[in-house]
Amino acid sequence: MSLTGRTVTKFWRIGIDDVNGTPREVPFDTISPVGFQYDEVELTAWQDQVKGYLTAHPDAAIDFGGPFDTTASVGFAVSAATPALSGSHTVLYPINGLQTPLAFAIHIGIRAFWATNDPVFGVIAASATSGYLLTKYTVDGEKYSARVVPFPGTVPAWGTAIIT
Amino acid sequence: MSLTGRTLPKFDRFYCDGYDLSGYSRTIGPLEQVYDEHDLTADMGDTVKGYLPGHLQSNVGVLNAVFDNTATIGLHALMATAGAMRTIVVARGIRAAPAAGDPAFCGQFVHKGYQPDGSSGAAYATLPFSGMAANAATLQYGAWGVLLHENAVRLVGSGANTGSGVDNPAGKQTTHGGFFIYEVLAGDGAATLSVDNSASVGSGFSALSGATSGSIACAAGVSGVVALAPTATVKQYLRWQIAFGAATTVTFVSCFVRGFGIEP
Repeated sequence: MSLTGRTVTKFWRIGIDDVNGTPREVPFDTISPVGFQYDEVELTAWQDQVKGYLTAHPDAAIDFGGPFDTTASVGFAVSAATPALSGSHTVLYPINGLQTPLAFAIHIGIRAFWATNDPVFGVIAASATSGYLLTKYTVDGEKYSARVVPFPGTVPAWGTAIIT
Repeated sequence: MSLTGRTLPKFDRFYCDGYDLSGYSRTIGPLEQVYDEHDLTADMGDTVKGYLPGHLQSNVGVLNAVFDNTATIGLHALMATAGAMRTIVVARGIRAAPAAGDPAFCGQFVHKGYQPDGSSGAAYATLPFSGMAANAATLQYGAWGVLLHENAVRLVGSGANTGSGVDNPAGKQTTHGGFFIYEVLAGDGAATLSVDNSASVGSGFSALSGATSGSIACAAGVSGVVALAPTATVKQYLRWQIAFGAATTVTFVSCFVRGFGIEP
């Protein structure tokens, strides 16, 4: 049994469009569960012996946070490269509350810096009708906390390609 | 990887209604910018829940300070009466005292409480705020801006500011207005505080239309906000400016909060 797919969070990367639509990587040290969480609708009838459910709509909001940082923005590192971090404050405060969808994706490197074909969740290329919105940017002491939610009609997905 | 932008709260400074309260302050925050999330999912047509942001809750949080009844300029003398709108600047120094170009959280917030507390032995005071004031000039905008002039004195003999200015973190001009905020900490007469803007770093500066205090009697306890129209153009680079009237010395802090199209 080969168990080569396990990893740790130091190889995770957050990619998010800045106010100009350019992907940036911001520092973070906490993140909520990534992926879909479906509403469960219980449809059990009295005559059933076991409770039964169907899944309704999933939610894909993501909360994350980390060090407040005003470092100037730099380009998102390419596949397999060392992360290139832009300042969290530099990137996040101008996009908070924006009504235009942004690319946002979590890149999960597998025991190495993230590389193409490693898992990615989110929206890697925003359009006028698809992407994420930042709805929270709060600073407390030396840390920030933030939250992104899908723009209406957006379908985030698991994939293996880098944010663009 | 250059990570020069991280810092600690000990480099924060708190200015309120024309006074520097940093000498009494222990903590301030959380500096909150949170939008209501409205679920706009079309149940039959959408696969995943989708949202749009609504109103912004903008708040400076809670000031925890050392209780001090120094006459005139002490925390107790200045802040014991809660219930009023306060003009506030929280300047965030980046591993040093705040300087021009550093971030600043600014606005006019409702001061809702003043609660001295001695339960830990030391006498502290807690000052909670409830959010942006409904009659604030800053109501059309968020609160994060940039510090243009750190807490420093300017003398009439120094003349106008010819500095190179500070860049917009977004690296471009914006067309969504903003507001100018100032805190005069000391002075001896009339002067006009304002903002210059330019498309280039270090040259081509001109007055940012509307971003001026007008002639004000500069003295401790003077502060103000001047909001631009939400469609005003603000060029990429900004710098502080002062025109002396009868004043010969003015100590002040000034900031500009730029709109990014988030606001109406």
